[in-house]
Amino acid sequence: MSWSAVIVEDLQVAADYLAKCCEKSGQVEVKAHFTNVAEALDYLNKNSVDILFLDVEMPGANGFELLDQLAYYPKVFLTTSKQEYAYDAFEYNVTDFLKKPFTYQRFIDALNKLTTAGGDNNISSTASDHIFIKSDGKLVRLNNDDVLFIESMGDYVKFVTADKKYITHNTIKNLEEKVNRNHFIKVHRSYIINITKIDDIRENDLFIKGHEIPVSKSHKAEVLKRLNII
Amino acid sequence: MTNQDFSKKFIFNEKIDSEYLFSMYADDYAYMEEIFATTLEHYDEDVEALKAAFEAGNLQDLKRAAHKMKPTFGFVGLTSIQEQVKKFEDLCQNVQDTDYLKDDFKQIVTTLAECKDLIASEYQKLKAFNANPV
Repeated sequence: MSWSAVIVEDLQVAADYLAKCCEKSGQVEVKAHFTNVAEALDYLNKNSVDILFLDVEMPGANGFELLDQLAYYPKVFLTTSKQEYAYDAFEYNVTDFLKKPFTYQRFIDALNKLTTAGGDNNISSTASDHIFIKSDGKLVRLNNDDVLFIESMGDYVKFVTADKKYITHNTIKNLEEKVNRNHFIKVHRSYIINITKIDDIRENDLFIKGHEIPVSKSHKAEVLKRLNII
Repeated sequence: MTNQDFSKKFIFNEKIDSEYLFSMYADDYAYMEEIFATTLEHYDEDVEALKAAFEAGNLQDLKRAAHKMKPTFGFVGLTSIQEQVKKFEDLCQNVQDTDYLKDDFKQIVTTLAECKDLIASEYQKLKAFNANPV
């Protein structure tokens, strides 16, 4: 299996069919299925998945409201029977728009977009020069160059830049896979730092713009390897 | 669920777009049986939601119920019914009150009842076919 996925769909037959397509593809493992946004959101903010198959119109909040509240962005496939949502799908930068019911071949074509550059909507992509985070009810773009480090705060993390701090619902473990690894490195269970921002390193700490950050023994060798030591 | 050549031994009712079903499920008749069973399992609940919304005069819920039910028909090859439900959903969007929809609602409820019988009949045929494949 290449990708983990969650299905958010209130029509049982559609959810079953989608799960069957995932299983048949041998590429997607469905971790959970939810019939409403509230339960899905609760799960998704505690568990990181690669793909979200998301219906739009459901009881209570709709699929776009889920995306508005999600602390990170998996690859999103909108599954709806309404073509009118295509524009919103574009606005939310979803990977593909699957009009229900769709054929298995159409499903495979959609999956194939995950492996092409044009379909990569992961705005927290490891190859990207920036990251979008949810903070204070809005999406905030942070350029990699502006982030000094990321600090764990339990169920939240703090993104620290030279002049601001942004708190968002996420975990260091999840972010470790999402941030650009050319810029960022985990130095401690509670810290990911921007490798280009280190001012100096001492025994078990490093300093970035006056911030003292612990470096655990298990990560120190990797950190030193990444530095341009003459 | 593949694009390879496969058996089309099962003969569906003429109202069902069998080519559409084969494009989705290939010749996985056991899975088609599952799909028809799941559809039937939730059918009454979805129709009741539609009726309750109409009786309550709640246009928004009526539209939502029609929207939810619409793709169901595609999954069982009743593509023309899917289109019919879509038209009803569009009507809900374009009127101010459920009173304007009395005739259309009556028609759609009749259609839905006929469809249930058809889906149930095809399900039984699929079940028998899968129990004793030719």
